[in-house]
Amino acid sequence: MAGDRIALAGMNSALAQLRLRATLRLLGVMTSSLAFTIAMMALVAYAGRAMAADLAPAAPAGASAAYSEAGADTCLACHGNAAVNGIFRTAHARPGDPRGPFGHGGLQCEACHGPGGAHVRARGRSMAGLVDFGPKAAAPGVRQNAMCLACHVADAAHDWASGAHAGSGIACVQCHQMHAAQDPVKSALGQTAVCTACHQAQRADLEKPSHHPLREGKMRCTSCHAPHGSSATAQLVKNTVTETCTACHAELRGPYLWEHQPVAEDCSTCHDAHGSVQPALLKTRAPFLCQQCHEGAGHPSIANTPQGLASGVPSAFLLGGSCLNCHSQIHGSNHPAGRALMR
Amino acid sequence: MTTIVLPPSSARALRLVLLLVPAHAYAQDAVPAPDTSGWSCSQCPFFTGVTGQAELGAVAVKGANASYGRYTGEDRSGAYVDAAAQGMARNASGDYLSFDAQRLGLPARDAGLTVGHEGRYELTVTYDGQPDRLYQGAVSPLTGSSGGLHLPQGWVPAGSTAGMRALGASLFSQDVGSERRTAALQARYFAGTQWTLFAGVSHQEKDGTAATSASFLTQAVQLIAPFDTVTDTLEAGVAWAGHRAGARLGYTGSWFDNSATALRFDNPYLPLVPGSLQGQLGQAPSNTLQQVQASANVQLPWRDTALTASASLGTLRQNAAFVPVSTLPGSGVPATGSLDGDVRLSHFALGGGSDPLPRLSVRGNARFDGRDDRTAPQTVNTVVTDTFAGGPAVARRYGQNRMHLDGAADYALRPWARLGVGGTFQDVHYAPGQVLDHTHEVQSWGRATITPLEDLSFGLKLGNGLRKVSGFNPAALPPAENPQVRAYNTAPRDREFATLNGSWTASPHLAFTLQSTLANDDYRSSPLGLQSVHERSTAGTIAWTPGNDWQASLDAAYQSLRSLQNGASGSASPGWLLTDDQRYWDLGAHGRWTHQRWSLVLDYRYAPSFSGNDASFGSPNTAFPQNTTRLESAALGLRYDVSSALQWHLRLAHESYRASDWALDGVSPATVPNLLSLGILPLHDSVNLLALSVRYRIGADAPDQ
Repeated sequence: MAGDRIALAGMNSALAQLRLRATLRLLGVMTSSLAFTIAMMALVAYAGRAMAADLAPAAPAGASAAYSEAGADTCLACHGNAAVNGIFRTAHARPGDPRGPFGHGGLQCEACHGPGGAHVRARGRSMAGLVDFGPKAAAPGVRQNAMCLACHVADAAHDWASGAHAGSGIACVQCHQMHAAQDPVKSALGQTAVCTACHQAQRADLEKPSHHPLREGKMRCTSCHAPHGSSATAQLVKNTVTETCTACHAELRGPYLWEHQPVAEDCSTCHDAHGSVQPALLKTRAPFLCQQCHEGAGHPSIANTPQGLASGVPSAFLLGGSCLNCHSQIHGSNHPAGRALMR
Repeated sequence: MTTIVLPPSSARALRLVLLLVPAHAYAQDAVPAPDTSGWSCSQCPFFTGVTGQAELGAVAVKGANASYGRYTGEDRSGAYVDAAAQGMARNASGDYLSFDAQRLGLPARDAGLTVGHEGRYELTVTYDGQPDRLYQGAVSPLTGSSGGLHLPQGWVPAGSTAGMRALGASLFSQDVGSERRTAALQARYFAGTQWTLFAGVSHQEKDGTAATSASFLTQAVQLIAPFDTVTDTLEAGVAWAGHRAGARLGYTGSWFDNSATALRFDNPYLPLVPGSLQGQLGQAPSNTLQQVQASANVQLPWRDTALTASASLGTLRQNAAFVPVSTLPGSGVPATGSLDGDVRLSHFALGGGSDPLPRLSVRGNARFDGRDDRTAPQTVNTVVTDTFAGGPAVARRYGQNRMHLDGAADYALRPWARLGVGGTFQDVHYAPGQVLDHTHEVQSWGRATITPLEDLSFGLKLGNGLRKVSGFNPAALPPAENPQVRAYNTAPRDREFATLNGSWTASPHLAFTLQSTLANDDYRSSPLGLQSVHERSTAGTIAWTPGNDWQASLDAAYQSLRSLQNGASGSASPGWLLTDDQRYWDLGAHGRWTHQRWSLVLDYRYAPSFSGNDASFGSPNTAFPQNTTRLESAALGLRYDVSSALQWHLRLAHESYRASDWALDGVSPATVPNLLSLGILPLHDSVNLLALSVRYRIGADAPDQ
């Protein structure tokens, strides 16, 4: 009897524990669901609140002591010079554009440089509240960028945060000259100079015999790349390497009846878009490039030697177009007889 | 005592909620906005009026050819007009206009005009000319148009080029090159401060000739093929940009049109089979690409956190009519009549970055790219190079899905030391019927940036990667392909890489930068094919600015690319080994000096390269001659300011380019018995240029000019 009571008590205890666990599990599920719901609601609420704040008129504030009394008129009293005034010829200084710092309601100079009230009251001896720009700036690069991103994160720099330039701590002003009447990075040759100041290997590539016309000013780095970030590999302007290349080389888009697999997958399998010492931006010349993937019975697998040069027993496998003497439709063929890319 | 343990999912969820609580607390702006109604900006020198400059002159070039003028069109000795103009205008109402035109006297001319009203709309019209001069003096007995290339009257076919008795008298010299002309219109309408409607159209015409070739079984002929194509593009969409969030929805359409579906050419050889008098090369088929894209981003107030998402869906279509399978009498068109090609492209991506701790920044991306070729495979009764029937063959379709993940974290250990780690994972799944099912590649790296002094910093990045592949399906290989070969883009690979960066600002007037990279790829688990690639590169710059009027810089680079591959003539074991050794140097110097009314610019560049191949299988004399290139150029630019409005410009330049290429050297049309070549020689030039122009400026100078 005692044992039965103990057993029963034990069973009751075990059952109670099971019930407790089940309750806790249910609470846990509800909690996790509730927590997830709360999290999502908080995120949506924040986003909605941010949008509402964006749409609502700016809250009228009593004059904030953090800012200057007269905006740009205050700043230009000391800083109005040729080095600064170039900005008034750019899109940053359009009084009729409410999106810009000099549009109606804009914070003018302080939109980018931060509140300058303390700086003015200290007659320039204090940088409190201000953000300065450049390699000698007191403000860290992240802080400098935050000023630019405050306006541009939703448009030009929408992929900035996840991009390689952000990861390397690049500051906007390393590439852009906001106060210049003509930002060098916006011209073809100026942009190439700016980009290759860091990407020096690519600068050398552009001087190679086979190259895209960047040093001639007919293309620019942003023809293919999005330096502010993109969701594609290598920060390309299109989703993939092939889509980027065929934006200009649409004749190679296909699809063809007879496809060449590496062409359908990735142009950079065979080509180096920045430049090459080989013709046609190839990484290696034919027939050797082709033989890195093709070793079929017969002529694809033969060892090509200097005996086949013009001075020896001239061979069509080496001279002229090499493999492309016959397999000229190397990017694909829509000819019914183009099985071996020969028609 | 009963210990209550929350299920892991609940614990994670609660941590997420707790994280968002401080996020909400940080949701307020740090400083309230002031009342700017009194900020009149009366001292702001907004530009109103008209300003501009025009430049007119002449360029005399001696020794120019396709090598020098490939992308500018200055490919002949002679004189060219040198004209350019830029300008802008704005009125007090906010209407503005700007224009820029360059190289108006050359085929590489480009011009752009932008008009707009501040905050309301902007229209941009552009024109761009892009020549591409490839070869001069190519020779061929076949001439004609896109309708066909024909041999001259009296042509005597033969079994080899040596027997073509009429060849010498039948060769016509032709240039090979093309022009690309693009006209575009872009428009943006700003609806309020946050909405932008955008649209753009472009029309591109590309025509000219290209060097190509074709064969009749083992007898090949190089051709100068005319082409004439048009590409039209339309983009349109809407974008919303808030202070902390944005979204964009867009459409892109591209139509490529080629009226020529094939190029016929006469057979210069004795026909291998009766009736094989002409060949027919397929031309790039007309196609269309249409995509819709959507993206959104939000910047959270918590620790500079930003999230982005994007998606794109597209369709690539092609349905050009097939040409007959052969020019042989009785050949017909495949029953389907056309390909009805349909490729679906997809792209999905998520990305984000954050600084969760004061000294820690993290970022990551996930993206998916899909190429789904829904074109029905076709079986075609082929004919081999218009000679004999090749039997039925299935035209394979290729597609793949690519998943990519990457992440990185950087931590500022000290103000002068920063450490980072990161990695990528890439998974490629191939469509059924291909040689591989999938590849997996993982890369990891670590980097350190040291700034021992304010003006001295070094960075070192080390990493490695490993690519594994799924089971190999030799049945999917092309006919007669050696099953031991591994295409290197789908082969197992070990990768190691390292990058060293350094910069030193020795003084306010002197700065040094250096960048070195090495990368080793090992494919040695591949029985045949590419075995290894070793890449080394070093580049550096010295910049000297002794004064406001002086600037000088020196840049230098060296690159080495060495690869090793093997092959087998019909067996499983490697029978030969080939090394490919490419080396490139680049040295440049630039100087600028300004004194009162004078400005002088000097540029010098020297860029040689060589590439060599050495085939080894036991026989002597297996090293190919080195292929070399050597570019040397020097330029002097002199400007004299007659007044604030009038400038004279003088430019003197010399360029010398030499190249050797064993594939072209000594290869005349009849050198190779079974290749009727174009006789193209390696490019070289020795060009002298003199340019004189006058630039006149109207309106107010730009403040910083």
